[in-house]
Amino acid sequence: MNYLDMDILSLHEALVEKKTTPLELCKEAIRRAKENDCNAFEKILEEEALKEAEQLVEPEKDNVLWGIPYLAKDNFSTKGIETTASSNVLKGYVPLFDAEVIARLKERKCVLIAKTSLDELAMGGTGTTSHIGMTYNPYDPSHERMVGGSSSGSAAALASGIGSFALGSDTGDSVRKPASFAGLVGMKPSWGRISRFGLFPFAPSLDHVGYFTRDVASSAVLLSFLAGRDDKDMTSSYRPVEDYASYLDKGISGVRVCYFSEIVSSLKDETMKEKFLSSLEELKKRGAIVEEVSFGLDLLKAVYPAYMVISCAEATSNDANLDGIKFGPYYDGKNYEEAMSKARTAGFSELIKRRFVIGSYCLMAENQEELFLRAQRLRHMIVDRLSEIYQNHDIVYLPAAPSIAPRFVDASDKLSAEYLIDDNHLALGNFAGLPSITVPLAFESGMPLGVNAMARAYEEGPLFAFAKALEEISGLSGLSVMNKKEGKL
Amino acid sequence: MNFEAVIGLEIHVEMKTRSKMFSASPNSFSRKPNSEVTVFDMAFPGTMPRLNKEAVRMAIRVANALHMKIDHELHFDRKNYFYPDLPKGFQITQQRRPIGSDGYLEIRKNGAKKKIGIERIHMEEDTCKQTHFVDYTLLDYNRAGVPLVEIVSRPEMHDGYEAMKYVEAIRNIVVYSGTSDGKMEEGSLRCDVNISLRPFGQKEFGTKVEIKNLNSLKNIQEAIEFERERQSALLLKGEKIRQETRRYDESRGETVLMRVKTDAVDYKYFPEPNIVPVKLSDEFVEDAIATCPELYDSKFERYLALGLAEKDAEIILSSPDMAAYFEGTLPSGCEAKEAANFLITEINSYLNKKGIAIGELGFDPLELGKITLLGKKEKLTHRQCADILFKCLDDHCSIDVAKKELHIEAMVDDEGAILSFVTAALDANPQSIADYKAGKERAISYLVGQVMKLSKGKAKPSAVMAKLREELAKR
Repeated sequence: MNYLDMDILSLHEALVEKKTTPLELCKEAIRRAKENDCNAFEKILEEEALKEAEQLVEPEKDNVLWGIPYLAKDNFSTKGIETTASSNVLKGYVPLFDAEVIARLKERKCVLIAKTSLDELAMGGTGTTSHIGMTYNPYDPSHERMVGGSSSGSAAALASGIGSFALGSDTGDSVRKPASFAGLVGMKPSWGRISRFGLFPFAPSLDHVGYFTRDVASSAVLLSFLAGRDDKDMTSSYRPVEDYASYLDKGISGVRVCYFSEIVSSLKDETMKEKFLSSLEELKKRGAIVEEVSFGLDLLKAVYPAYMVISCAEATSNDANLDGIKFGPYYDGKNYEEAMSKARTAGFSELIKRRFVIGSYCLMAENQEELFLRAQRLRHMIVDRLSEIYQNHDIVYLPAAPSIAPRFVDASDKLSAEYLIDDNHLALGNFAGLPSITVPLAFESGMPLGVNAMARAYEEGPLFAFAKALEEISGLSGLSVMNKKEGKL
Repeated sequence: MNFEAVIGLEIHVEMKTRSKMFSASPNSFSRKPNSEVTVFDMAFPGTMPRLNKEAVRMAIRVANALHMKIDHELHFDRKNYFYPDLPKGFQITQQRRPIGSDGYLEIRKNGAKKKIGIERIHMEEDTCKQTHFVDYTLLDYNRAGVPLVEIVSRPEMHDGYEAMKYVEAIRNIVVYSGTSDGKMEEGSLRCDVNISLRPFGQKEFGTKVEIKNLNSLKNIQEAIEFERERQSALLLKGEKIRQETRRYDESRGETVLMRVKTDAVDYKYFPEPNIVPVKLSDEFVEDAIATCPELYDSKFERYLALGLAEKDAEIILSSPDMAAYFEGTLPSGCEAKEAANFLITEINSYLNKKGIAIGELGFDPLELGKITLLGKKEKLTHRQCADILFKCLDDHCSIDVAKKELHIEAMVDDEGAILSFVTAALDANPQSIADYKAGKERAISYLVGQVMKLSKGKAKPSAVMAKLREELAKR
């Protein structure tokens, strides 16, 4: 096993003992990135990364992130490095500032290996709408299956063993769903826990900075560095940041876990269902109290429509700045309107335009009550229902996706008349801003299956303890296509 | 006039905070275009708003001065529209819950006070400044994000004078609370007028016309009067008023059509997701109010109590710098009225002559107070005091030096000293005594001149005259 495949703490130890160096890690990551055929990158930062890694000579014992290579989704602003959010509308845009998370990692001397591709402007869940084309799932060499999105490149690259962790963003499930399809740990903490400054907004009331790792411990370690108040983001929390790794060995004895009957009973994938149910037994063996709860079918059916209305409405406003006048490709016109229309017509794909139209329609004065405000009320009802559930339970535990990664031919981002409650419930965590983590559960036909756990707001610590237990149950820690495992379930 | 005009005003005031409404960019009204701009002001992706506390404090002060209910929880909304002067494609404003609501202010009309209701005051950010040329437009992002308060009156004014007085009162509040320069000509206070006419006694409002581009109090009054007559003439002819936006053409003294309003723009308001509601503590609100500088009305009352005439108090308060200067004279122990006289007459004429503002005078107001005191203390005339003042202003010298260089000394009105000058003069001029006795009044003028000569001009003329007559009678 290469050092690059280690968890963060073990890798730090190796670096401190000088068994490997940041430069070696960087070179290996770049080698793997260049060999990778998943179409995961907007840009491999070979020159920049090597230059940085070269300067990291004397290990910093007290800095566990020293020299650690990582990836960032291309919707994080990076100073001096073109950032397009995989959209033509931002082609050539070189930010003047670093996103807060990028700045923090820079300060810790992490080495950014590449900017990863995404569904255009982080809208979408298939990894098919980036301006560089589809991103493939590394577990499927035939390239028939998606890796999910919108953090598609980060998921594909990390599952290919490129780097120790990867930043993503999560508005509906954009970290946690691809984590499920790529056999990764995908974490989205509470809303306000990590500064969003410098993350290109999709729908700020739902947007979260999230990230992928290949094991739960690394996820916990990382959060302690990424979390914390940032005055540049007024919504970031003043709550003290915890030593999340200290929760890992707390166990789950007495933890009250629930799953939603509607979602589990709607599962059509028998393997998923069976593995999920057997994990429940394992959780019980470890002392967890597991209960089935009915969330309410109507409310679950409302999740996706409410999500679409709110997220599209916010998106149409957030992306109004992309007019080709201040940055991005400029198109000449006889007046402002024409120049802007040309830039936006040429710059956005059809899917994005459709979402803008939906969002704008929902916000129109004559439709607000029926659509936007109704969606907001639904969101409140859903959040209230979650609060009720958390009065008697500590963790909501569910399959992260109905099955393994779908084939491209079977997937569509278009609105469907069919309510797929088992495919959209992760947005509950965005509605309520709750910490939520996906971990691998098992394999089916060589493709990973993931499960998700969600805790009360700011209870990231107990959530990591639970995720750690799941990881022990599945036996799938440190998983990647470079480091394949069978799993215990 | 057969119709009653119904007038409501929307006033935008640029706040002179150190930084912008939602960004750390300096807000110093630099004249160099695009020199005070951050990535937020240009809406670079990933930038986020940071609420300016100082702006909130100022808005609270204005709301309080306008007797408004102050919301202790701040909510912000997005107003969405595409326009070249709006970099984000939306403006952050307070649509649903303005910081202040339901207040009033008082204006004086024909010696009586009249209350004008105020519907709301809210905070928002300014747009870019556009400068249009024939085939291009320049954008200055310095103004993008400058903090604004918008004050919306109720439609409770009925003529140009009332509207003008209302704007004047608002300007006094924002200027004296330290919120704004309130300079209409420079756009730091901008006023839009909504005016409609209806027959007296009718409850329903007529069709509303909006007038923009009003850059002085005078223009507000004139534009409204013009509009009243224009609309009234149309109505008398049986024509309908169109809902339109007009601007005031100062040179023609007329309002001119800008555009006919069609359906109102749909701004697709929704809550700003990047600013969660901000709770204001009672202490914060109380502190903002308690630390508000003294406002116009309070100063006005105080100046009257100090003995100033209303007219003089108004002149001094027409400029906060002048008021500050005036108040700076008082610790010298001078008479307020005396200081005011010097300020309004001598200092003002000096400023006009030099073409400078009072802030550029470079003369400690305390010194002015001391100069006015010389009248009593050293028995100098007003003229002498004024000469000392001008000398000090021109030469940047001290009072003593000015006095010395001007050879100004105190008048002698000491009885013994005057008597000795008078006696000497009489003794030296027996012919004049004889002439006086013979009834030649002119002789006494000559004698006064002789006394003044002997006293080197220091004898007080009135005292000299009295003493001369007294002594002449004895001879």
